[in-house]
Amino acid sequence: MTDTILSFADARLTLDGNAGRVDILRGITLDVARGETLGLVGPSGSGKSSLLMLMGGLERATGGSVTVLGRDLTALGEDALARFRRDHMGVVFQSFHLVPTMTALENVATPLELAGHRDAFDRARAELETVGLSARAGHYPSQLSGGEQQRVALARAAAPRPDILLADEPTGNLDGATGQAIMDLLFGLRDRHGSTLILVTHAPELADRCDRVVRLEDGRIAPADMARAAE
Amino acid sequence: MSLGIAARIARRELRGGLRGFRVFLACLALGIAAIAAVGTVRESIEAGLQREGATLLGGDAEVQFTYRFAEPEERAFLDSIATEVAEVVDFRSMAVVGEGDERDRGLTQVKAVDGVYPIYGAVTLAPEMTLAEALDGTGGLPGAVMDPVLIDRLGLSVGETFRLGTQSFVLSAALEREPDDGGGGFELGPRTLVRTSALSESGLLVPGTLYETEYRLRVPPGADLDALEAQADAVLDETGFRWRDRRNGAPGVSEFVDRLSAFLVLVGLAGLAVGGVGVAAAVRAHLDGKTGTIAVLKTLGAEGRTIFEVYLIQVGVLALVGVVLGVSLGAGLPLLFSPVIAAQLPVPADFGLHAAPLAQAALYGLLAAAIFTLWPLARTREVRAAALFRDIGGLRVTPHPGTLAVIAGLVVLLVGLAAWLSGLPELTLWAAAGLSAAFVVLLGAAWLVRRVARRLARARVVQGRSALRLALGAVGGPGGEATSVVLSLGLGLSVLAAIGQIDTNLRSAISRDLPEVAPAFFMVDIQPDQIDGFRERLDTDPAVSRVETAPMLRGIITRINDRPADEVAGDHWVLQGDRGVTYSDRPGDDTTITAGEWWPEAYDGPPQISFAAEEAAELGVSLGDTLTINILGRDITGEITSFREVDFSTAGIGFVLAMNPAALRGAPHTYISTIYAEPQAEAAILRDISDTYPNITAIRVRDAIDRVSEVLAGVAAAVTYGAMATLVTGAVVLIGAAAAGERARTYEAAILKTVGAGRRRILTSFALRSALLGAAAGVVAVAAGGGAGWAVSRFVMETEFRFAPLSALAIVVGGVLLTLAAGLVFAWRPLAARPASILRARE
Repeated sequence: MTDTILSFADARLTLDGNAGRVDILRGITLDVARGETLGLVGPSGSGKSSLLMLMGGLERATGGSVTVLGRDLTALGEDALARFRRDHMGVVFQSFHLVPTMTALENVATPLELAGHRDAFDRARAELETVGLSARAGHYPSQLSGGEQQRVALARAAAPRPDILLADEPTGNLDGATGQAIMDLLFGLRDRHGSTLILVTHAPELADRCDRVVRLEDGRIAPADMARAAE
Repeated sequence: MSLGIAARIARRELRGGLRGFRVFLACLALGIAAIAAVGTVRESIEAGLQREGATLLGGDAEVQFTYRFAEPEERAFLDSIATEVAEVVDFRSMAVVGEGDERDRGLTQVKAVDGVYPIYGAVTLAPEMTLAEALDGTGGLPGAVMDPVLIDRLGLSVGETFRLGTQSFVLSAALEREPDDGGGGFELGPRTLVRTSALSESGLLVPGTLYETEYRLRVPPGADLDALEAQADAVLDETGFRWRDRRNGAPGVSEFVDRLSAFLVLVGLAGLAVGGVGVAAAVRAHLDGKTGTIAVLKTLGAEGRTIFEVYLIQVGVLALVGVVLGVSLGAGLPLLFSPVIAAQLPVPADFGLHAAPLAQAALYGLLAAAIFTLWPLARTREVRAAALFRDIGGLRVTPHPGTLAVIAGLVVLLVGLAAWLSGLPELTLWAAAGLSAAFVVLLGAAWLVRRVARRLARARVVQGRSALRLALGAVGGPGGEATSVVLSLGLGLSVLAAIGQIDTNLRSAISRDLPEVAPAFFMVDIQPDQIDGFRERLDTDPAVSRVETAPMLRGIITRINDRPADEVAGDHWVLQGDRGVTYSDRPGDDTTITAGEWWPEAYDGPPQISFAAEEAAELGVSLGDTLTINILGRDITGEITSFREVDFSTAGIGFVLAMNPAALRGAPHTYISTIYAEPQAEAAILRDISDTYPNITAIRVRDAIDRVSEVLAGVAAAVTYGAMATLVTGAVVLIGAAAAGERARTYEAAILKTVGAGRRRILTSFALRSALLGAAAGVVAVAAGGGAGWAVSRFVMETEFRFAPLSALAIVVGGVLLTLAAGLVFAWRPLAARPASILRARE
């Protein structure tokens, strides 16, 4: 029997915008097994990133339930969600989102510091070495190339050994070769730490490397994937 | 734990530089500097007064009697506690020069001294000589020295003669400086210094005339002044004496400086409030730029509290920098300019570092910084991680009620502290209420301005006037500078407008309205045997419309219902020193009795008193209460049997105390008179009265009003400088807002250029929006200042309020010019930028 780490039951997301109410996710039911790699694909605006954000507790479902590691994320407050992410999740964004006033090393050490690790900087240094950036540890994001910034972001996400790694189009802002290198690193880190990896991507070759791919269309899981989604 | 991490993250974050915080630092530092500077100058003056206390007082201690000399036993007592006693007699008189038609006269404050004076310090004379030499005189005439102002006014030269009463003096020298000057307070006439013994034939110091004797004591080194005061209290009990000593050698100056500086600190606090708007805007702008970072930190697991602490530490550190800057400026500037300031002061000042006012300013600054930054800071807790990938409006949410409670608590603490430290609790509370009201009104006005601008931008009338429509759209649009400009500039201008309205009204009440109702002369020291002749001269003069005379004695209220007066009624002005007391069989024709009844004619029973109604209410005395009044060392206790309306605002005769004639029978007294006459007849009246009765002192009311106006002008100038500091802070906020909006304007200019707008049109639009905001702030400020001016005129000065249009116009024009200047300075870069680079950078 597979160990379910993440479970969506009829999860919905509706947002009030300037143009009125928008249904972003319209009832997602999905289970993810521990250690699985799941690719989320679909056209722009289909709700892939929003689904990923619901998984990370960065966005709150407006209907249904989102259960991660046995905790119902819809019942947690902002601070409890922040603690939950700190203890169990790493997130990688398409736009890297490094703190511009912190060096690469400090960016990687920050989640470890927040988690109260006394050896935060030693571990961060080791993590930067893993992504091949120990020589750039003292550099600020503005002094790094896009690929390097994303490697720092990968190291930052992986450093606390999260149970779940969430990646939102991690190669979307990078050229092909650099993107390939980043994917190798991402899957390498996932293999090393045994994390569950869920990634949003437009790249078919990246989706192919996942254990399972779920396709979203207009805020719903595409009918062809429905049966597999609940596996 | 969380604080440690927050501190580390805050430190890393600060590497981004302080560029956005220049306005924050300037606003905070300016506000604190103004308060610290006022406090430093006040403490310096206080220290100077302390150091020079004995010199300013003229002795280690002083015992003062009103209207009489010390009795032999009293003098013996004074001699017994002091190693040296100087006797000084102080009174007003007329100095008369020349004979016949060439005669000229001037009011003078005469100081008659003995050979011991001055105990401390030295009198400086020109030409240089000792005081004893000068007062010895020449040619059989006693000598005198005189203030150069009066010498000039009378056209005298050294060696010439003049008269005081019937005594001639030879002017030996000009009085450049008397060491005990500045302790006496407000004087109407310049000083003449003579020897007391020379006045014996002058006819001036006869019973009933108004004079004070001051016995200045040099006490043995190490003598306990408290013990001596207690001893004097016991020996001279209820003789109507007043004790002062070197610890507070110039109480009048000290109190004036205290009051004025307390008021200026309140103006400074208003400046801090204006600065607070800039501080809040700077923090908000900084945090708006940090939304991404905050969201990242939240994604990485930072709790709201940690985020709040990160930015609290940053802002706290910056606030401390601001405080240090402000305190350094506030302490340094008075030191730097001490020679200039000292030259302007009539009293000595010890310029140096004084911890108390600096600590006070720092405390005010920190509290203000906390009040104005907690709101935007608290909103960092509400930033959601989702802000990273979706624009969810940044920090525009109302903070938690707990935060609002803390902010309210800090406001109460700041106001309470200011009320306590200023010693003017009522004024502080009124000022705080006024400031809060101004804040609310200005916020409302800013909202209204934006709304009206938005509506007008779509109106048909502005169609085809693109520059105006763009300006209106920018003022009314989202993310504009309207609120912060209207609030900061409006507050600064409101303070200035209020001062302008109050000052104009006060001055016009004194210089325009008062002379219309006030008499031409006050005449005092009219002896009872002179009153008939005096009246005859005036009653037959067609140019004289009215003459009022009343007998006057001077007395000190020592007890109320047989308890010490100050115990019953505190330090009310009626109890401070001696008051005029009159007597009459009948109430005057204009007298309105508000309660009780006037005594019957020829009443000869126990003394009865008619008391001024308003002052009675303030003192808390009622009909049937008894007052003990010390007149010439003798206690007279009477019962209050009626209250009267007394109007002091017309400068007519107004006595707080009136008694039945029998109660004061036998007490030597003189008459006081007010003369209402045509201005062209004044010179003849003065000449005739002073020729016939040389002992009578005439005070020209017009001169007295001029003197009061001079003092008020000085006070108004000091307050205006304080308000200007507020406006400077407002200007800094304005510049900050203009600078913050530069990026948005650059982008806007780029788009407008792309769609074909010329630079001139864009510049016109920028200028128009600045002018619109400045005018709006000015109009609101005039309304708020007018309201404050009306309230002060109506309730404090109790005069009719007249709106001062010139002052108001100056405020509105000033507001427009300030915003125009700030707006246009930051318009050049947007105008010069090439659209392509700007638009590409935004992609």
